[in-house]
Amino acid sequence: MNILNLEYEKYKLNNGLEVILHQNDNHPLVSVNIWYKAGSSNERKGKTGIAHLFEHMMFQGSKNVPKEMHFRYIQEAGGTLNGSTNFDRTNYYEKVPSNFLELILWLESDRMGLLLPSLTQEKLNNQIDVVRNERLERYDNQPYGLAWEILINNLYPEGHPYSWPTIGYVADINSYTLTDVSDFFKAYYSPSNACLTIAGNFDKDNARKLVNKYFGDLKNNKIPEEVFVPPVELKENKLIIRKENVQLERIYMAWATEKAFDPLDSSLDILGDILSGSKNSRLYKSLVYDRELAQDISAYQFSGKYSGHFMIVATAKPGVKLAALKEEIFKELENVSENGITPREIFRSKNGIKSSFIYSMQNVESLADQLNYYNFYAGEPNSFNNDLTRYENVTSENIKECVNKYLKKNYVELQISPANGIEN
Amino acid sequence: MKKSDRSIMPSPSSELKFTLPEVETFKLANALDVIFVKRSSLPILRVNLIINGGSNTDPIGKKGLANLFTMMIDEGAGGYNGLELMDEFDILGSSFDISCNNDGLYLGLRTLKENADRSIDLFSKIITAPHFDEISFAREKRKLHTRLMQLKDDPEEIASSVFEYTVFGKEDPYAFPSMGYENDISNVTVEDIKNFYRNYFVPNNSALIAVGDITKEELTEKLNKYLHKWEPKILDIEKYKCKTKETTGIYVIHKEDSVQSEIRIGHLSAKRDKRDIFQRTLLNNILGGQFSSRINLNLREDKGYTYGAFSRFNYFKDNAIFYVSTSVGIENTGKAVSEILKELNLIKEGVTEKELDFSKSSTIRKFPSNFETNRQVAYNLTTKYIYNLPDDYYDTYIDKIKAVSIEEINIAASEHVHPDKLSILVVGDKNKLIPQLKMITGDKITELDHLGKEVTAV
Repeated sequence: MNILNLEYEKYKLNNGLEVILHQNDNHPLVSVNIWYKAGSSNERKGKTGIAHLFEHMMFQGSKNVPKEMHFRYIQEAGGTLNGSTNFDRTNYYEKVPSNFLELILWLESDRMGLLLPSLTQEKLNNQIDVVRNERLERYDNQPYGLAWEILINNLYPEGHPYSWPTIGYVADINSYTLTDVSDFFKAYYSPSNACLTIAGNFDKDNARKLVNKYFGDLKNNKIPEEVFVPPVELKENKLIIRKENVQLERIYMAWATEKAFDPLDSSLDILGDILSGSKNSRLYKSLVYDRELAQDISAYQFSGKYSGHFMIVATAKPGVKLAALKEEIFKELENVSENGITPREIFRSKNGIKSSFIYSMQNVESLADQLNYYNFYAGEPNSFNNDLTRYENVTSENIKECVNKYLKKNYVELQISPANGIEN
Repeated sequence: MKKSDRSIMPSPSSELKFTLPEVETFKLANALDVIFVKRSSLPILRVNLIINGGSNTDPIGKKGLANLFTMMIDEGAGGYNGLELMDEFDILGSSFDISCNNDGLYLGLRTLKENADRSIDLFSKIITAPHFDEISFAREKRKLHTRLMQLKDDPEEIASSVFEYTVFGKEDPYAFPSMGYENDISNVTVEDIKNFYRNYFVPNNSALIAVGDITKEELTEKLNKYLHKWEPKILDIEKYKCKTKETTGIYVIHKEDSVQSEIRIGHLSAKRDKRDIFQRTLLNNILGGQFSSRINLNLREDKGYTYGAFSRFNYFKDNAIFYVSTSVGIENTGKAVSEILKELNLIKEGVTEKELDFSKSSTIRKFPSNFETNRQVAYNLTTKYIYNLPDDYYDTYIDKIKAVSIEEINIAASEHVHPDKLSILVVGDKNKLIPQLKMITGDKITELDHLGKEVTAV
């Protein structure tokens, strides 16, 4: 499709920084989005969560930017900003009125090159406290909040870079030192380990000059070797049973599958959609709608740079046993494995994906992030059409293959049930 | 280009050129107001229908009716059952959504231009010919019962809904959560749902907002074609009757083994008024409305008590509340409450020119980015409709912000922030909370349950 074909320019500075420029003049806004190829998979035992803590430190000012002023300058310009960390990467992004592009390049380059001179123990202590609270708020104090952590910890073998949570373990969060932080910076925050995307309303010649002015003289560091990734192979099924302060029982099942952009990755996405993505999806319709055994259900593929897994999560209605839910889920998987799926189901899924691609083009910030996403995982920023084609090409046979190849293997099962609830 | 002198902050390159989207309004033959913005940069369209009358119309004993209504309206319409209806939308790559708050119901449609006709057809079926059958009703009701049961797990939700309940004085129509109560839901019948439809789902009680790649003529033609049977009638709707009571108190809701406490501190506030809406917006910006606010910088960036702390004026159509919210590690509850009280007192001593300049600058310069997506444009038009804002509201927005003086901000602070009239509510482990709160507030602490009913004096 034409509207999914984005014109762009990609080049590298001498220090290795990749630059992607995509002009889109619909609104007088410009988005700057930087991906550093560093995430929690680059951490080591005892220091989990440092990539994410580091992301926090990047907002604490740099050599020429006093504490609190990074946020303030951008907000004063009418911009919005944030960052996020996952297994594979850390991103930082801003959206500002187009006349403030230079301000953003100044701020981003200052922290890319000159963060360390402004680092203090006081700032670190403060952000350790903030991150500790973030962990409490988003995980420990949420109903079922530790499920993800437990699942990945059991699915991925010891030492696998996805076997610990990105937020980090509490003991590790408490242990970070200034040396840990500056070591992480020196190892991964090099121009050669980052990609800077500018999308929106700007002049390309001017942008090239400004990028060169602010990033051109930043020093390049040697990046540590790629992380070691042991194979993900469960010797047997694992069952974890946990009591929590919740009202309803919930079951989670996770199977090791494929990484992003592997041959069956898009089929696994469609499988998830066909099982639980809409009112007419198989598991939703039968378990939630028709038979009311479950209050909610979701099935989806997670795919990262190094590995991926497929997950099914269902919350039991009061009085329904998890074993009954599980049996129904496996029955449906068996059905898909034998009979495949209907043309209408696959058509519905593909159309949903296609239109969500088009809707997403409205926001210059998500566009910039998506260009970086494709550049990182597919090696080509302008991959919207290729990506769509991956989905268009999925057949009923592929879906059967997903089930047969992956969902009949050993899996991790987690059951969470009420601590003082009525026994079923 | 020369290497940079990094010690100098760059200045903006030029003045920004921004023009607001052009809004057209017209009425259909059935008296439905249509608010339309043509935007052709992408072949997509968003349509929203606003119905005046949300959960503040819920009768006593049937709290949650309007929300249950929203769960029912897409469970079959125009000859399609609930599953068939959604399948029709999904197959087009279109999506239907509906939500409800205190003041209204909001139906939304998102479609590709190529499927606009069929999507508007389906959307209109939901509006004009919903089935409301008994079997779907029973199922949706059971689903809602379970959902309400699950809310007991969620400390944030408990804190927010009980806080509103107590601050609004337990009887005002705004005091109750949109989701309703388990006992009340049991009382709702399918007849109530049909009555709600008859009373509120009337073109002259609604407005339709369309934003996207379509001409006015095409839109009008489609709306006439699919909505012509939807007939106006004389409205028989009860006006909002204010039953607020000014209350203050210190409340604790016990959540065993909680590792955090959810804090809400605030009071009733004057409803949104053009006299000082911009003053209150800028004031709250400085106090707790954004990351670099006094409250967040103090509690997060200085003390490290929390992941974030914010204040807001929550404007309903006919009323408002003001509050600060945050969640903190349970051991820091007392200290966090003290700091919030300190900030609420301090703001009454006035803001600085520098703070006001920052607040104005960020608000003014951010303005263009509020109109980037179709959804945002529709949202702004919805705001204008719900609060009945003047036609030139967005055209004069920047000038009005610019014109606010520091004296006006300080008057707004003295009129709208009242540290002597606060309700303080905390959800968490009471055994750890109460001793900390007593140090600040004295012994008068009331324990509430998750619905806001008094448990015992502690």
